[in-house]
Amino acid sequence: MSWFRRKRRDEDVAEELRAHLEMRAEWNRASGMPADAARAAAQRQFGNSGILYEETRGVHANRFLEAAVQDVRYALRGFRRERAFTLTAVLALALGIGGATAVFSVVDRVLFRALPYPEPDRLVSVGVMTPLDTTEFMFSASYVDWQRVQTPFESMTSFGFVVNCDLTEASPVRLSCAQVESNFLSTLRIQPLLGRTFTTAEDVRNGPDVAMISYGFWQSRYGGDPKIIGRSISLNGAPTTIIGVLPAAFEMPRLNHADLLVPVRLDRNLAPGLPGRDIRVFARLKPDVTVAQAREALVPLFAQFLPTVPPAFRSQVSLRVRSVRDLQTEQSRLASWLLLGAVGALLAIACANVANLLLARSARRRRELAVRAAIGASRGRILRQALTESMTLALAGCVAGCAFAFALLRAFIAIAPSGILRLEQAHLDGRALAFSLAAALASGLLFGMAPALETARAEDLTGARSVGARRGLFRQTLVAGQIAISLVLLTSATLLMRSLWNLEAAPLGFQPEHVIAASFELGPSRYPTGVRQQAFFEGLEARAAAIPGVRAAALSDSLPPAGGTRARPYTALQAEGHERYTRDTGGMIVWRFITPDYFAALGIPIVRGRGFAEEDREPSRNATVLSQSLAARLFPGEEAVGRSVSFGEREPWYTVVGIAADVKNNGVAEHASPEYYLLRRHGSDPVYASTPMRGANVILRTALDAQAAANSLRAILRELDPTMPVKVQTFDERVSQLAVRSRFDAALVTLFAAMGLLLSAVGLCGVMAFLVAQRTPEIGLRMAIGASPGAIAASVIGSAARWTAAGVLLGAAGSIVATRAIETMLFGVGARDPLSLAIAAGTLTGVALIAAWAPARRASAVDPLEALRVE
Amino acid sequence: MAKSPELQGALDLLILKSLAHEPNHGFGITLHVQNASEGLLRVEEGSLYPALHRLERDKLIRGEWKVTQNGRRARFYRLTAGGRKRLADAEQNWSTLAAGVAKVLRFA
Repeated sequence: MSWFRRKRRDEDVAEELRAHLEMRAEWNRASGMPADAARAAAQRQFGNSGILYEETRGVHANRFLEAAVQDVRYALRGFRRERAFTLTAVLALALGIGGATAVFSVVDRVLFRALPYPEPDRLVSVGVMTPLDTTEFMFSASYVDWQRVQTPFESMTSFGFVVNCDLTEASPVRLSCAQVESNFLSTLRIQPLLGRTFTTAEDVRNGPDVAMISYGFWQSRYGGDPKIIGRSISLNGAPTTIIGVLPAAFEMPRLNHADLLVPVRLDRNLAPGLPGRDIRVFARLKPDVTVAQAREALVPLFAQFLPTVPPAFRSQVSLRVRSVRDLQTEQSRLASWLLLGAVGALLAIACANVANLLLARSARRRRELAVRAAIGASRGRILRQALTESMTLALAGCVAGCAFAFALLRAFIAIAPSGILRLEQAHLDGRALAFSLAAALASGLLFGMAPALETARAEDLTGARSVGARRGLFRQTLVAGQIAISLVLLTSATLLMRSLWNLEAAPLGFQPEHVIAASFELGPSRYPTGVRQQAFFEGLEARAAAIPGVRAAALSDSLPPAGGTRARPYTALQAEGHERYTRDTGGMIVWRFITPDYFAALGIPIVRGRGFAEEDREPSRNATVLSQSLAARLFPGEEAVGRSVSFGEREPWYTVVGIAADVKNNGVAEHASPEYYLLRRHGSDPVYASTPMRGANVILRTALDAQAAANSLRAILRELDPTMPVKVQTFDERVSQLAVRSRFDAALVTLFAAMGLLLSAVGLCGVMAFLVAQRTPEIGLRMAIGASPGAIAASVIGSAARWTAAGVLLGAAGSIVATRAIETMLFGVGARDPLSLAIAAGTLTGVALIAAWAPARRASAVDPLEALRVE
Repeated sequence: MAKSPELQGALDLLILKSLAHEPNHGFGITLHVQNASEGLLRVEEGSLYPALHRLERDKLIRGEWKVTQNGRRARFYRLTAGGRKRLADAEQNWSTLAAGVAKVLRFA
């Protein structure tokens, strides 16, 4: 009932009663009484009008609500009296709820929240998995066929690459252009904010040059100009018309950054036998079609496609249809669940702590509750009071937890500068706050159960102590449970830390110290031909080598230890005097296109033969360097230096001039792939002509200050091409960025484990103190009959140790189960690593015994006379 | 009349019956009951008003402010359809009970 209606009703009741009194008085007067006697008689007959008013009004009152308000007031009064208890409980809850809320706001975007498309669950990614790529893709020739005859999808669309493109106007900038099909946005069901999407007439070869721009680019470059539609811009030197603006929330299904969308212009009339270009394919399922059914329906099409694949690949090619969310979260799902599980465990520990605190409090308040029961409070009323108290605590914990979550989230973002999926979008919004409230209420119910289940009985007024033992048992079981959960957390944290340690200490195969690298890509408008590009590279190489303090300068198309290198299937390779391997692809072989100083710049040892020399750069000479593992595979047990290798069926034979040590080239956590190196030659290099590469990296090994060399390098590049964006980093930075996810996960889980450990220690300490207080008369008696303080302390510590041991045993079993789930996240350490478990169990036991020490000391200091007087 | 739950039913019955006769305010109901019972029954204010508001809450009667013949504002109650049905049931129960009790008293 609203406050106004209630007030109105109350006034009505008062007036009604007043009217009654006056009518009675009038009646009395009419029957002959004098005026004041008539009024007095009426009042007398009426009785206590205050009580009557309350009683009448009370008929309409929401009794439940009023009682609840009363309960809350009572609870608050109690909490104010016991500040230490309240502060401890709210703090424990704030840690648990705050941690859970912060992590929820991080993983919500990854695990639960709908993607920013209408009916996002109906969007799937379609393609074939091959050894060529880590995710699915399609060749345009088969895609065009599938799109025509497929049945499970409402529509099927694709985008090609997201490529660099140059805005060649006043103040030129480098942009990202995503090449999309004309039905791309309609399949995603995204409406442009302004203008329109591409027509099929624009999505054909030699169609008009049109583009859609992203909201961010529209704002930053054009100040959100509402008349942007129809404006002509110069893109890669060609006049292009802006036809639409994307909504602010738009994102590419693969989360690529794109400033502009341009038509992909697939060739729909390819000559038979040509596979076409590779594209990323997405589709919207028809209603009632599941992902599995869609995949099933595509199997016949896949069967027709398979024969077009080179025979060596066939056994390693498979069809893949999965939801866009699965595609996006492939890498982060497990880690997200891990973090959520870790905070869930922390929250459980916090709940156990608060339950224990409440139990101790209710033991102190047993007399009070007994009095209430004795004067007629029903069992339900007392139960409700207990639950109200825990809910009030939970809500206070929720408020404090939200403040803590806010700080924690800031810290997360600070320790993970980039590379965590959607972390930059995480903030405490309505969903996170709702989650926090739900977590608080659930934990309030959970820890409120414990004291609520204790029946208040009038018999407790006698002060009999028989129930104490049972309650102590329950509390110690709670502590053992806390210790068990703590151990699982600690073991996981130890495993992740050890894994991170291994990752950071993993030998890379080269020396990243004192090395800097600059990455850039030549723009299509200024460097349209291979000759122009090569001229740029040669000029850069000469000038970089002349920077003072530089000991070696090299160019390479890619940098270790990250993946994303050029690669070929092993079956394409052939060693002189050996048959070509044809059973399957044989795995991918990495190759790099480098200048002679590459090995010196990165400090990669040449183990046999020699590295590249300047003479090898004559276009007529074909020299190569193999990695140790590739040499061993191509020429098993033979001398490889001086032999010849071919890297493709119609390609020339190269002479192996040297063998280089293996280098990490698939990321730090993976095994190194076999690798070979080709040399950037002078003049018209046939390799460069066949595989144009606009992107390159300059690698400098410096003897002096790396920062000074970096500045000189930047200056040179700016002089050569002021429009070209360049990223300069030390190699140490590059390498450490590769472990950012592992570092983030390990840091968070360790933080939660530490908080869990602290809470468990506080819980254990509290329970032991409670038991000592309860046993004080018994301890006094023992001392009076000759027990030494040491023996008393030992008995307290012993009891703590027993429950800790029980918790550790339970936790060890739990750890073995739980850590198996994170096995794939670990590097260089097994999920059942006994050392990690031992470290965790040792830490936990040590902390538990320290926590038991203070109560034990108090027990040993009990004054027997004092203690016995209590009884 | 007392406040015990057994007699509350009787009070409700008296109120409903009185309002079936004519819509009335609380004071009018006490007068009506007193007159109709020829002074045998008297409804106490302490029970009447909580009972009226309970019946109103349960939608058996509806109250509204009106002006009496003497020009005084008073809250008049009248039966709702539900109230009439409840009255019929209660009258039936009461007669059965009264007849039963009378027989037992005669027998003894």
